[in-house]
Amino acid sequence: MNNIFKFSIGILSALAFAWLAFVIGARKQFGDLEPTSSILEDNGSIPEGAELFPKQIAGIAQQGAKEYISLGCTTCHTQQVRLEDSGFDVERGWGKRPSVARDYIFHEDITIGNTRVGPDLANIGLRSYSKEWLHQHLFEPQSLISESICPPSPFLYEEKDFDTNNAIKLKEDQIDKPRFIVPSLRANRIVSYLESLKQDYELPEMSFIQQDEEIIETSELSTVSESKNSDSNLSKLPTWLASQIASGKEIYMKAAPGGGLCFTCHQPTGLGLPGQFPPLAGSDWVLGDKERLIKISMHGLMGEIEVNGVKYNNVMAPPGIPPGSLTDQQIADVLTYIRNDWGNSASSVSPAEVANIRSTVKDRAPMQMWTSAELKSN
Amino acid sequence: MKFTAEQIIDKSAKWVISFFIASAGLWLLAAALLAYCAAAKLTDPFFLSTFEFFTYGKVKIAQANAFVYGWGGNSIFAVSIWIIARLAQAELRGRFLLIASGIIWNVGITLGLMGILDGHMNAHEMLEMPREIWPLLFISYSVIASFIIVTHRSRSKHETIAPQWFILASLLWFPALFIIAWNGLEINPARGTLQAVLSMWFGQSLIWLWLTPFALGVAYYLIPAITGRPIDKYYLAIFGFWCIALLAPWSVVHHLEGGPVPMWIPAIGTVMSIAMIFPIAVASTNFHATAFKDIDIVWNNLPLRFVIFGTLSYTISSYIGVVFSLPAVAKLTQFSIINEFHFNQRVYGFFSMIVFGAVYHMLPRITGKDIPVGAKSFHFWTSALGVLMLLLAYLIGGLTHGVLAQQPSLDWASSVIASIRPYFLITQIAFVILGFSQLVFVINIWKVLFPNPFQFLNNSSNDSAKNAVA
Repeated sequence: MNNIFKFSIGILSALAFAWLAFVIGARKQFGDLEPTSSILEDNGSIPEGAELFPKQIAGIAQQGAKEYISLGCTTCHTQQVRLEDSGFDVERGWGKRPSVARDYIFHEDITIGNTRVGPDLANIGLRSYSKEWLHQHLFEPQSLISESICPPSPFLYEEKDFDTNNAIKLKEDQIDKPRFIVPSLRANRIVSYLESLKQDYELPEMSFIQQDEEIIETSELSTVSESKNSDSNLSKLPTWLASQIASGKEIYMKAAPGGGLCFTCHQPTGLGLPGQFPPLAGSDWVLGDKERLIKISMHGLMGEIEVNGVKYNNVMAPPGIPPGSLTDQQIADVLTYIRNDWGNSASSVSPAEVANIRSTVKDRAPMQMWTSAELKSN
Repeated sequence: MKFTAEQIIDKSAKWVISFFIASAGLWLLAAALLAYCAAAKLTDPFFLSTFEFFTYGKVKIAQANAFVYGWGGNSIFAVSIWIIARLAQAELRGRFLLIASGIIWNVGITLGLMGILDGHMNAHEMLEMPREIWPLLFISYSVIASFIIVTHRSRSKHETIAPQWFILASLLWFPALFIIAWNGLEINPARGTLQAVLSMWFGQSLIWLWLTPFALGVAYYLIPAITGRPIDKYYLAIFGFWCIALLAPWSVVHHLEGGPVPMWIPAIGTVMSIAMIFPIAVASTNFHATAFKDIDIVWNNLPLRFVIFGTLSYTISSYIGVVFSLPAVAKLTQFSIINEFHFNQRVYGFFSMIVFGAVYHMLPRITGKDIPVGAKSFHFWTSALGVLMLLLAYLIGGLTHGVLAQQPSLDWASSVIASIRPYFLITQIAFVILGFSQLVFVINIWKVLFPNPFQFLNNSSNDSAKNAVA
């Protein structure tokens, strides 16, 4: 301890043990992983002609990775799906299987991150977001997810108030004043990078995790009629969404207390009755602003309304038996259902969103129905 | 006029120490400002969002770097120079080169932070400053550390004591960690997630092997120096020291639990984290058994009050850290804002509080001027309040975050993150309080270091007046 040289050797060799393990040892163990096929032959060799995974990353995506790092996205986003014992990442729909070391061998910089203030992005390319959606989200996340705290990046876009080449129309509440954004090269790189992030292949060391089949099975049993198409869609969805849709369908079809009694007018097919009740399938109202849908589900609707260019004039009592009795969770489920059946595909509605809107209209009388004009003016 | 030996030593180091403390103070303010901006951006994502150089990610990273390398680095230099010279009973060597290297260090960090904000960030934890800066920082660091060791070598007494081990070890560990990480990440880059293991190992070890041993060494020096009692159960200190040296470099990797790396890496990290209760218990016994023999002096002596706040915070939250490294708890808190709790506890609650105490103890001795008790006391109470608010918000918020994130049916933005937003607001308020507190600290020390900053103007005008008369 008294001789500085002996002391230095002592403390540095204590450090060297860790170095031997984490640098030398780890490099020996998994420093030279190569792409491989999903299934190996019995003797451990790659079958001839089999497709190898992971694939090389496209050049534009690699450039996008650089932008992703330079903007500091890693501060809030991880890119790793944890093992089943360590968390519910797969159940949350963040990946088909846990990530393994081999998935990252072509990444130049590793951005697996350590904090999730934002969702995990290891499989963002697998979630069905369009390019336009990703661009809008980069430009202003709050225009798509109102509660998001992700900082907007308007500096990556050029704002226009008219449509031009490559421009993307922003989704906004006021329809009469559209805004457009033109992505810069950097924005395109980032979006290409995000689209490239997917671990959609199996490796010998890790296969896809079968999601809790029980939940999906029971939810299938509880639904009244099931088309083959929606069946297969349902099993692809994350568990929580599938169960929300299933419970929404039950409410839609139920004619007893606790049900919604929706099908009597809008029909089990979602097509409504021509001239009397508007359709839900492909309806611009159903696929549009969630706030209006939530309001209608709480208080009902009366008077003239234009759906997909066709005018209807009828009265819709507040849904539910007794009328107006649907809870936040039930409204969220049934709206999620009508937005995702009969070919519809739109974002889900959460109970928190319903509660939020309910608190803004708490002064409204329970049976005071909305009119189309009133909803459009909000 | 005859000086005592201590006064001669202090005089030899006065300008070097003044330089480092003054720069440390400025970095502290810069970090406080950046910390506030980052916290404000979490409560309101539109805050300053149109400036590309000011995205949340960049500000957050710049804040951590300004804090660790700017404030941490400079204050480590200042305080170790003083303690090592005092304990060696030797005058400081290489004053000119020390200041020159200090200037390079600070210019390097300034350029590095500008690089981060300008979009040249690296992806490695605590090595985010652009790669061109690092040789500069490494060389200036080596010069400073070498002269501190040279001063130590010219000591009059052969035997060394605990503060010297801890401080010298921290001075030596940083360059060793850096060389290992730099070689594995830049010169001879590893492939795949090996990089992530190394970068996380460096980032965490930096806190455990650079800031922590230094602050422990300062506490080992100040507690007996102020209370006038020898360290209680001093024979345990050497055990505690070697435990940290052998266990800490292994324990830091438990954050990779469940990640895309071989399972033995997080597993060994967990085991070693649990074993860390030995060095924590040793340090805690040594410090608190000594200081609490005389509770009055802890309460009345401000530097000591700062130091004891730091050591208590070290003990309590290191035990919390051990609990959070257990796999059953780790899977809840792993990616939550508990990480912020760990970081801020280390750098604010423990390291900074001890450095504040050391600076308040040291400055009157080297400058001969006293800092008003009221100002020091205001600084203590605002710091204590700010740190407690910050840590509690991150701790409770982190647990909420972690538990809710484990419920796959909850929507991410509208349920999980919405429920921790109130805690972000509390941290924003805490950073305002801490910012004020640190402003008071910097004013306190600058007033003592440079009592009359415009003196040279008066002198030169006097000179010119004299010349005019002549």
